[in-house]
Amino acid sequence: MNFIGLMVLTLIEVVAVGFHLPDERIFIFSNYTLMILTVVAIPKFIMIALIFMHLYGEEDSGILTVTALFPSFFIIIMILFIGLTHPEATTGLPAWCRPGTY
Amino acid sequence: MSVHDDHHPSAWGPHDWSHGAPHNSWSPFIMSVGIGIFLFSVAGVYRWGEMIDAGSIALVFAGLAIVMFGLAVFWRQDMSFDGSYEPKATGTPFRGIDIRKVSVWIFLMSEMMVFTSLFSTYMRYRFGIESCESVFESGQWVEGTSVTCFEPAGHLIASSWFHIAPGAINTFALIVSSFTVVQALRYAKKVDLDHKVRTKLVTRYLGATTVLAILFLTLKMIEWFIGFPLPEFLAEYNHGDTTIKSLYAEGYLINADSYQHHYYDTAYLADHGHGISHDTELYAMMESGTHSGGQMMANIRVSASTFYVTTGTHGVHVLGGIIGLMYMTFKASRGGYTPENAVSIEYFGLYWHFVDLIWVIVFPFFYLY
Repeated sequence: MNFIGLMVLTLIEVVAVGFHLPDERIFIFSNYTLMILTVVAIPKFIMIALIFMHLYGEEDSGILTVTALFPSFFIIIMILFIGLTHPEATTGLPAWCRPGTY
Repeated sequence: MSVHDDHHPSAWGPHDWSHGAPHNSWSPFIMSVGIGIFLFSVAGVYRWGEMIDAGSIALVFAGLAIVMFGLAVFWRQDMSFDGSYEPKATGTPFRGIDIRKVSVWIFLMSEMMVFTSLFSTYMRYRFGIESCESVFESGQWVEGTSVTCFEPAGHLIASSWFHIAPGAINTFALIVSSFTVVQALRYAKKVDLDHKVRTKLVTRYLGATTVLAILFLTLKMIEWFIGFPLPEFLAEYNHGDTTIKSLYAEGYLINADSYQHHYYDTAYLADHGHGISHDTELYAMMESGTHSGGQMMANIRVSASTFYVTTGTHGVHVLGGIIGLMYMTFKASRGGYTPENAVSIEYFGLYWHFVDLIWVIVFPFFYLY
């Protein structure tokens, strides 16, 4: 069941890109395609982690889920405070980090 | 000293498993040293495709030889496993859980940090650098002078169903391979199954996983370097061209400081009926005669680097999985898996599902968007 679900969700991703959806901003997403890709990736991620990787339904699932979530704190810092420091991300970068400087 | 310690364990193997779990192994240390030498020396061999230090090649092979030796030690220890003992953690908070399982999870979390740093780098540059498409449409470029902009690989890959095909097939291949690993574990764990039948089924499913993993890397090589031909009747859906070019042939390279593509060529767009959107500044500038049009040239080193480094790191993980799978399939074909030691497949499965998990993020955001 999980396997079929993953296949269907992947199909949705491919079709969403193949059919060139409107290029308009929606919620926090810059276009419809990005929104669909993000929304579909989340359940795929959860389905693989919970079912395939046994983070649900087993005796040791609880503590292993906590272990798996441990890096989340660092991931949030990286994504929110380093990855999305725009606008002007490139001009705000130190000179050695700007494109064209190697 | 417990009774399990009284068996003179060898760090070189094979272990005397009937006296308990192994207490030590040189294998991880040897492989770490080998990988360290390999990475240190391989970085000095090439620069932009040119060999800069032939002497490092000897070190590259020395590193690989040390890794192989470490693997041999590991195999020698593992092949002697009769499945009679699985060490449990004794400390909080993992008390009672298999030590190897906890180790795999901690390893996977360190891997998660590696990929997170790659994703965050990608996001910073993707959102921080203006896309080549908007630079082109803004008209803020002059033919013959390179502009720095972000050209996502997805712009090329998602340009047609044919370009998406290798990545899409790979996505399905990885999901199916996750399923086949689960099946291999399921049959290896089945107590009420004849050993010969179990051996056949586990070998079959692990073998299928190996084939799918090899397919994944093969398609990736086709997508990056080779491209593929199209039948004549499909050419009309590909601008009359009977070949799907590789990213390499498209000039999407980490050293591309003068990248040119027909997407950014006003003459090509006009000839092929696409034209330029009338809403763009470029159109207004061309209409008023302040821009002569032409083909934009771009420095896309940053975008190509983030793409190749991230997808390449994922590919290396698939390659590592293939090495593990080949060994496991060999072991399975010799009847090496029983319900007692089937957890080894589960632990490999955790790694393999993680590789799939990373692809779930890489595919949409690097290939499609």
